[in-house]
Amino acid sequence: MSGITLRNVTKVYEEGGNSFTALKNASITVSPGEFAAVIGPSGSGKSTFLSIAGALLRPTSGEVLVNNTDITKLSAKKLSRFRLEKIGFILQTSNLVPYLTVLDQLLVVKKMKGKISKEDREYAKQLLGEVGLGGKLHKYSDQLSGGERQRVAIARAFMNDPDIILADEPTASLDSKRAFEVVELIAKEVKARNKAAIMVTHDERMLKYCDRIYEMEDGVLSLAENQPLNKVNELS
Amino acid sequence: MFLALREIKHAKTRFFLISTILILISWLVFILSGLGNGLANLSAATFKRIDAHYAVFEDGARHSTLRSVISENMIDDLERFENVEAAAPLGTHTAVVLKEGTSGDDAKIDVSLLGINPGTFMEPKVTEGKQLDANNDEGVLVNAVLKDNGIELGDYLEVEGSDEKFKVIGFVENESFNHLPAIFTTMDMWRTIHFAAPGSDRGVEKPVNAIMLRGENIEPETIDQAIDGIETVTKKDAINGIPGFTAENGTIMMMLSFLFVISAFVIAVFFYVLTLQKTNQFGVMKAIGASNGFLGKSIIAQVSIISFISIAIGVALTYATAAVFPEGMPFSLDEKLIITYSIVLFAVSVLSSLISVRKVTKIDPLQAIGRVE
Ligand SMILES: Nc1ncnc2c1ncn2[C@@H]1O[C@H](COP(=O)(O)OP(=O)(O)OP(=O)(O)O)[C@@H](O)[C@H]1O
Ligand SMILES: [Mg+2]
Repeated sequence: MSGITLRNVTKVYEEGGNSFTALKNASITVSPGEFAAVIGPSGSGKSTFLSIAGALLRPTSGEVLVNNTDITKLSAKKLSRFRLEKIGFILQTSNLVPYLTVLDQLLVVKKMKGKISKEDREYAKQLLGEVGLGGKLHKYSDQLSGGERQRVAIARAFMNDPDIILADEPTASLDSKRAFEVVELIAKEVKARNKAAIMVTHDERMLKYCDRIYEMEDGVLSLAENQPLNKVNELS
Repeated sequence: MFLALREIKHAKTRFFLISTILILISWLVFILSGLGNGLANLSAATFKRIDAHYAVFEDGARHSTLRSVISENMIDDLERFENVEAAAPLGTHTAVVLKEGTSGDDAKIDVSLLGINPGTFMEPKVTEGKQLDANNDEGVLVNAVLKDNGIELGDYLEVEGSDEKFKVIGFVENESFNHLPAIFTTMDMWRTIHFAAPGSDRGVEKPVNAIMLRGENIEPETIDQAIDGIETVTKKDAINGIPGFTAENGTIMMMLSFLFVISAFVIAVFFYVLTLQKTNQFGVMKAIGASNGFLGKSIIAQVSIISFISIAIGVALTYATAAVFPEGMPFSLDEKLIITYSIVLFAVSVLSSLISVRKVTKIDPLQAIGRVE
């Protein structure tokens, strides 16, 4: 099946003789078109979880299946290719490249794969139009507001048409109005393009846009008791 | 190229500064190489020009015309050796000449007096006037730079410390020896001046300082064994035997090597610091899928663009400076040298950027996750 599945994933950090289990037997499945959220206190292991899901970190044990391939078995070189093609990251701060224009921020992702075609250009413009930045294609990131930057990052995450969208506290640096807009936008794109998406967040107000909510507590991942009202029926 | 060009365009000041340093370094490199070349020419232009491959000196004279005295009579013997196509004698003497009728320190001109046999390959082609004449010992060929001292065709020159007089019958260009402009004279005239002091020829019959040999496959050992008291060396060794040549060349080469090392350091440090500053940015790009190759290539592309442009400007500036250098300055640009040093500078820059590339490959994309900057 497509989408992303983590099965019994455990991560143990070894540091100078001490070992620390940041993630304990976590399992989750997110199918295309689904938008899952992970909440939990600071230090509970959310970023660790997301890094493993995003092929940035190898788990100590367990498997991570994306489109039925276990990515924990891929070589480092294959992993970077895998991230490029299959995963779209939306990070805490937008993390745009300061010397690229809004349009180039998206095109560089294509460039990493090879040539930029005319269609790529059109697609990038279309994506930027969808996130409401059609009029700012040639602005640099320091000429954009925080919300606009995050919207560029969202468009960038979708540029390579990945299967999985991963967002690590995408609203951390935004005020609540912008935060709502941004999460709503992610939800809209995830639905429209049928992607499997996981968002890590601190902010419980953002959860209403998500289909399913998980809680992380001391490295243990579990389904939250309170699921979004409008989704409860779907789940059972 | 995608990232490289855009970053340069965006951070113009930063890259302008590093280019300026590189331009200055390459400029200095080319000027120094021109100076080195000019000095070497001044010191050995005549040796470099002549169509000879070997030189015969007195044994023990350490290939220097200053110390060596041999007899011209051995020319016939030398020419009989295998592969020797031609042989021609040379005498050197440092002299001070004055235009006839002038006096005072300003009028004195230091020259290298070169005694040769007219018609041999030692004789340069005149650019003005007539060639030497074996029957006219008075007539000499003069380096055209002496025109700056007001010397003209037909002028008479007095030789300081001698009663002899020269008549300028022809001008030659780029002929100098031992840092001094050359005056070519017949062997007889040269002997009269050089061995003016009784006994200074040490009893050698028809003495000369050296005999130059033409012929690529000459075997110097065979010649040295067959004839007593001589040493046959390559033209290169003979040039290195010119007083000061090796020392001068060594100094310039040392300065050039230092400049290469400096440029390597400047480039390496600049791009390394730049890379360190961008660690987070590179981390993010790696997280979204950029390979080491992609980022490494962009650094190398950047260094290549910057060095290429800087070196090109350096070359242009060098030719511009050369145009305004005073005539008599020992400065001569050699295209081959310029191209060689450009390539060396370029290679040094690109190689030193590999330190940054290595750094980039070590950046962990993981750091992009879970960070608030
Ligand atoms: N490289 C590491 N080595 C050792 N321990 C680590 C390492 N990375 C994270 N940890 C520990 O693992 C635990 C989980 O870290 P993680 O970054 O996943 O938390 P988080 O839930 O994302 O927190 P926050 O909400 O503050 O971002 C923390 O206690 C942290 O100290
Ligand atoms: Mg975190």
